[in-house]
Amino acid sequence: MILAVLFANSEGNILVERFNGVPTEERLHWRSFLVKLGAENLKGVKNEELLVASHKSVYIVYTVLGDVSVYVVGKDEYDELALAEVIFVITSAVKDVCGKLPTERLFLDKYGRICLTLDEIIWQGYLENTDKDRIRRLVRLKPPTEF
Amino acid sequence: MAQPLVKKDDDRDDEADYSPFLGIEKGAVLQEARVFNDPQLDPRRCSQVITKLLYLLNQGETFTKVEATEVFFAVTKLFQSKDIGLRRMVYVMIKELSPSADEVIIVTSSLMKDMTSKTDMYRANAIRVLCRITDGTLLTQIERYLKQAIVDKNPVVASAALVSGIHLLQTNPEIVKRWSNEVQEAVQSRAALVQFHALALLHQIRQNDRLAVNKLVSSLTKGSVRSPLAQCLLIRYTSQVIRESANTQAGDRPFYDFLEGCLRHKAEMVIFEAARAITELNGVTSRELTPAITVLQLFLSSSKPVLRFAAVRTLNKVAMTHPMAVTNCNIDMESLISDQNRSIATLAITTLLKTGNESSVDRLMKQITNFMSDIADEFKIVVVEAIRSLCLKFPLKHRSLMNFLSNILREEGGFEYKKAIVDSIVILIRDIPEAKETGLLHLCEFIEDCEFTYLSTQILHFLGIEGPKTSDPNKYIRYIYNRVHLENATVRAAAVSTLAKFGAMVDTLKPRIFVLLRRCLFDNDDEVRDRATLYLNTLGGDGTVVQTSDDVKEFLFGSLDIPLVNLENSLKNYEPSEESFDINSVPREVKTKPLAEKKAPGKKPTGLGAPPAGPPSTVDAYEKLLSSIPEFANFGKLFKSSAPAELTEAETEYAVNVVKHIFDGHVVFQYNCTNTIPEQLLENVTVIVDASEAEEFAEVASKPLRSLPYDSPGQTFVAFEKPEGIPAVGKFSNMLRFIVKEVDPSTGEAEDDGVEDEYQLEELEVVAADYMLKVGVSNFRNAWESMGADCERVDEYGLGPRESLAEAVNAVIDLLGMQPCEGTEVVPNNSRSHTCLLSGVYIGNIKVLVRLQFGLDGPKDVAMKLAVRSEDEAVSDAIHEIVASG
Repeated sequence: MILAVLFANSEGNILVERFNGVPTEERLHWRSFLVKLGAENLKGVKNEELLVASHKSVYIVYTVLGDVSVYVVGKDEYDELALAEVIFVITSAVKDVCGKLPTERLFLDKYGRICLTLDEIIWQGYLENTDKDRIRRLVRLKPPTEF
Repeated sequence: MAQPLVKKDDDRDDEADYSPFLGIEKGAVLQEARVFNDPQLDPRRCSQVITKLLYLLNQGETFTKVEATEVFFAVTKLFQSKDIGLRRMVYVMIKELSPSADEVIIVTSSLMKDMTSKTDMYRANAIRVLCRITDGTLLTQIERYLKQAIVDKNPVVASAALVSGIHLLQTNPEIVKRWSNEVQEAVQSRAALVQFHALALLHQIRQNDRLAVNKLVSSLTKGSVRSPLAQCLLIRYTSQVIRESANTQAGDRPFYDFLEGCLRHKAEMVIFEAARAITELNGVTSRELTPAITVLQLFLSSSKPVLRFAAVRTLNKVAMTHPMAVTNCNIDMESLISDQNRSIATLAITTLLKTGNESSVDRLMKQITNFMSDIADEFKIVVVEAIRSLCLKFPLKHRSLMNFLSNILREEGGFEYKKAIVDSIVILIRDIPEAKETGLLHLCEFIEDCEFTYLSTQILHFLGIEGPKTSDPNKYIRYIYNRVHLENATVRAAAVSTLAKFGAMVDTLKPRIFVLLRRCLFDNDDEVRDRATLYLNTLGGDGTVVQTSDDVKEFLFGSLDIPLVNLENSLKNYEPSEESFDINSVPREVKTKPLAEKKAPGKKPTGLGAPPAGPPSTVDAYEKLLSSIPEFANFGKLFKSSAPAELTEAETEYAVNVVKHIFDGHVVFQYNCTNTIPEQLLENVTVIVDASEAEEFAEVASKPLRSLPYDSPGQTFVAFEKPEGIPAVGKFSNMLRFIVKEVDPSTGEAEDDGVEDEYQLEELEVVAADYMLKVGVSNFRNAWESMGADCERVDEYGLGPRESLAEAVNAVIDLLGMQPCEGTEVVPNNSRSHTCLLSGVYIGNIKVLVRLQFGLDGPKDVAMKLAVRSEDEAVSDAIHEIVASG
């Protein structure tokens, strides 16, 4: 299960947070844990370079994309490598939506489309679509090209 | 548009960089949502409002029931619009609002219409939304469409239906299980993702049908699976099949070739998954391990942190069971100590600590010292625990390892970290006699400047037990008495108790202790004064050198032989009255932890602090438990208690494991039983033991368990008599017998009438190793030479063809049940000979040392020379007999 996807700006303010199967009372804990993790480790990291951590039996893969940082949390079958795949799909799709590496402003300008994109990638904790071109078509309600 | 409140997070001065959501406020957005009701819909504006609503929800904002209902009804109006972008937003919004059952009806018809639409993408999205908000009744209505969708030509529609199936399986399994034919068809799909989703769903549908999973795996491992993600799933399912078939099939491991083939896949994800699956195989051989370790080693030097992390995490696990297999990677691992990612560095260090040999310890410690200063406490704790295990493995290195622990104890750190270090020192003091005095002094120095009351009191208590037994107890007094001057009342009281223990145990110190205790009579805290008074009176005499009576020692050192939890409960239930509280009324039976808590992690050895509140696990606790049962009270001293052995498979109705307690003339089986069915209460639980294959044993007593409610484990016992001092062996078959009563889950009340029932358990065996205690020696050569050759017996044995030298060594260690010394249980790869040193105490408290020399005779045949030294030649002979008959 992919437990959480979280986007934050460079100051650690949340832009998007989506949890799956995480009780409400634990969400705040996760939010601050992830933001702290990013603050401690993401300085000077290259765009899309993946960092990894584990907390109990849960894995976290995170990275920087322009002005925003992206975190994905998973457990069981979504271990570090599966999450690396998930975050790769997310970052490439977000770049595709924004047309380049997102600034915070650009990210917020494209907020609606990014929400739709995430909706296509992860559905209630399961990875659904992986190809950015297909995702781009799906959010416009167009069938995939290979079909 | 009014936007009165400014959201703090987005408060920016910079004009150019201002957020489009600046000043967003829930009330205002809800107002704006009224545009959804306009007769002339403006799709662009509506999309913007939905985006704002999504932004609020994604920030953790919640809507009240009324607000959500209002927005939901408004959103449903948007189905009138034909605008595609807006429709896509509407789908997301409905899913986010997750309306209640009575509201769902409003959108059902619109969504059903979309689900049967000619536009594929409407179909896919409508399926996802419907499945998200639907309940069982609606599902039966749309089931027909979903089944069609699973085999739809459009991969997006098929995936939408399949992933819906994965979710619906949790709530409506009986319906989803009816789709297996369609799902089976989808597994053969040419679209990679459809195959991935279908495989996941099909496996979930069939996971309880072993044969079906086996068939699925057999067919797919032969064919080609298109997506790497699906390939990873297949590897997981394959290892499950291998695990389950391990006991039934002989010869080569099934599917191993498939796993090995996956190591050459082009996707890293698949390579890693296969490597991990191989390392986790039951009883994996070094030949099987080698290719997996090789690819993991390559990952160690990958430029991607995720791969390095994955590889080192897996190797860390392998190091626990096959340390020698990992040693080849040590050089790569050492370079990871300086990895930017601290998780990777910590894993590398702990792996190195597990695989390192005695000669590399010092070099490793040097590297770790530099590393410790810049990692967080949670990682430090992991390292401390690894160092503790290393020290127990190489007791001769205790000096440098203990020094390391004492150095880090002086540095900054939080409570958990300090506690981990102190616990480690305590365990080393207990297990390595040579480390005792230095260890105690390190602890003494620590409490001189310790900010944690809990740790200070625990260390003082420990000092009181161990300090008086050292060669020079005198030197600890100063540290203890300093506490009386410098600390808070809790620590002062603990220090007074510790002083009293020294006074009681060391008669020559008594007069001086008296002087110190008298000073404490003027303390400003009640508890400290009371303790001082109590001890001055109990120790008796007027402070002259007299021997302390046994009663007083028992009072000071003896532990309360009733569980504290029970005492606490009894005291709480006691109502003040004329009748005084009777300590004998406190039940002595240990109530074990409920199931849920037991699952929590925590198999760590306990150092200081209270013993675990759960089932008794140490010999002391077992002894206390057994002696509190009148039937077993006269069996004498408990020699050994085995580790619990499971008598039921995992996840059965009743979970039972057994602990064998060995006495000189008796054996007691303690059956720990757990009832995992909430609707049942078991009463009068006994185990009927058939000892027809254990001729020397005769059943003498059985203690039934009165009641076994759900999730609250209990114990029943059966005792056997056996010839005194003789290591009798035999097989016992077991049948659990009980009266089962139905329980009403709503009230928790059991019915009055019950039915007698039985439940077959697995067999258990008493073996020669049960009569041997694992007791290590820190310097085997010294112990061997001081034992002398008087009672030495040497003989040679052919062990026949074995899988490997290591396997033969482990088999003999298990057979004898002795403690391997100086890490000699580990056999280097490809070696053709090996010496293993074992130590133990045989029943009758006879010390035994064993030197095993193994050699390969031909390609697979193993020959062994066994030299035994003990304090009794009959025991040396007995050890040879165990090997000869094993």
